[in-house]
Amino acid sequence: MKKLIIIVIMAVTLPCILQAQEKASLGYTPHSYYTFSWNTAFPLGDFHNWVSQPSPAGFDIGGRYLLMKGVTVGFNISWQRVSKIYDAQTYTIPDKGIAITAENYRFTWMVPFQVVIGYHFIPDKLVSPYVSLGIGGDYMEHHLLIQEYDIYEDRWDFSLTPEVGALVKFGNYSNWGALVAFNYKWTTNQIEFYNNNTKDLQMLNLRIGFTYIVR
Amino acid sequence: MKTKLFSIFLVLGLVVTLSCTKYPPASDRLLEDLAVITQYDTKANFSSYKTYSIASTIKKITDKDTTDMSGATVTAVLNEIAANMNARGYTQVVPPAKADLGLTVVYFQNTYVYTYYYNWWGYYYPYYPYYPYYPVYYSSYTAGMAVIEMQDLKNYDQTNERLATRWTAFIRGLLTGTHTTSDITASIDQAFIQTPQIVTTVK
Repeated sequence: MKKLIIIVIMAVTLPCILQAQEKASLGYTPHSYYTFSWNTAFPLGDFHNWVSQPSPAGFDIGGRYLLMKGVTVGFNISWQRVSKIYDAQTYTIPDKGIAITAENYRFTWMVPFQVVIGYHFIPDKLVSPYVSLGIGGDYMEHHLLIQEYDIYEDRWDFSLTPEVGALVKFGNYSNWGALVAFNYKWTTNQIEFYNNNTKDLQMLNLRIGFTYIVR
Repeated sequence: MKTKLFSIFLVLGLVVTLSCTKYPPASDRLLEDLAVITQYDTKANFSSYKTYSIASTIKKITDKDTTDMSGATVTAVLNEIAANMNARGYTQVVPPAKADLGLTVVYFQNTYVYTYYYNWWGYYYPYYPYYPYYPVYYSSYTAGMAVIEMQDLKNYDQTNERLATRWTAFIRGLLTGTHTTSDITASIDQAFIQTPQIVTTVK
């Protein structure tokens, strides 16, 4: 009977002891981390009407600082471009009686800059999922190229970017890791070219990159 | 080592990103693309005109001289304009019979012209529709351009000797050797398609 009690106690407590040792020995909670990622943008809504194809031409640089219990604050600065060639589209300026039909090349390039607050659910683990919200603005240039003419406008905006993603350390104690994230971006930016009037430009972004983690 | 890896990754990212931004330069686009630009007089009542005449030749204006063009392409261009006017209900007349509207075609080549799409509307110095001229609104341009103009002969201002232009079509990118006659006639059709206001109700 005495042996049985000892075995039961060991059976219950041993896993906890081992788990405690594992927690103490594997992984670490970062002090901060920096990211560099390639972005692929998927225009949505009115923005999709302007340029209707995704673009992998973009990158993002960011930094995060863990405040307490997985809460982070940081920044993102990006560069992104979306573009497409359209065949024989007609633009009109009705009040002037003007119509233009031509192959045209449309592109928008943007420089988003945001303050980001986030939350890592298990910051010390090898795989650390998180959610975040970016708040900031963009500088955008919208270009319409017809033959040798480059008609463009530039605008500043306010933007919001909720994001889900994960950091994946290359090892339990590695300072390097991978980043995978997906976000939805809403902006107050707009495009006003002839009869192409769009507003509240939106897009989805897929970010894949590297991260450097500071202990 | 890790810093180098990060730097290499950063540079590669920039290279890939910038490589995605390539687009043919303006000179190439001019060779490949035809642009059809039209402007009509928003105050004109096109249904008030019934007849038209069209110049029998096309003038080609270059930096050096002005010559008359001839050949199958010229015939095709003039016929296509006439076909579109007929389809809109207008009747072609031949001088010396008087027409309500006069149409001319001029080709420009090897010059640099700046075209003004805005605020250029107005009256011309008097001219008869068979007589080509240099419009004052273009100063220069690189590739070829055909200009079709529709003059109001019906309301000729004899006192001030002025004719009003009711419609102008620019077909830009021509005369580069890369376009066929069918490309040009298709562009003429497009010029009329994008100006549905040109129509008369009385034949």
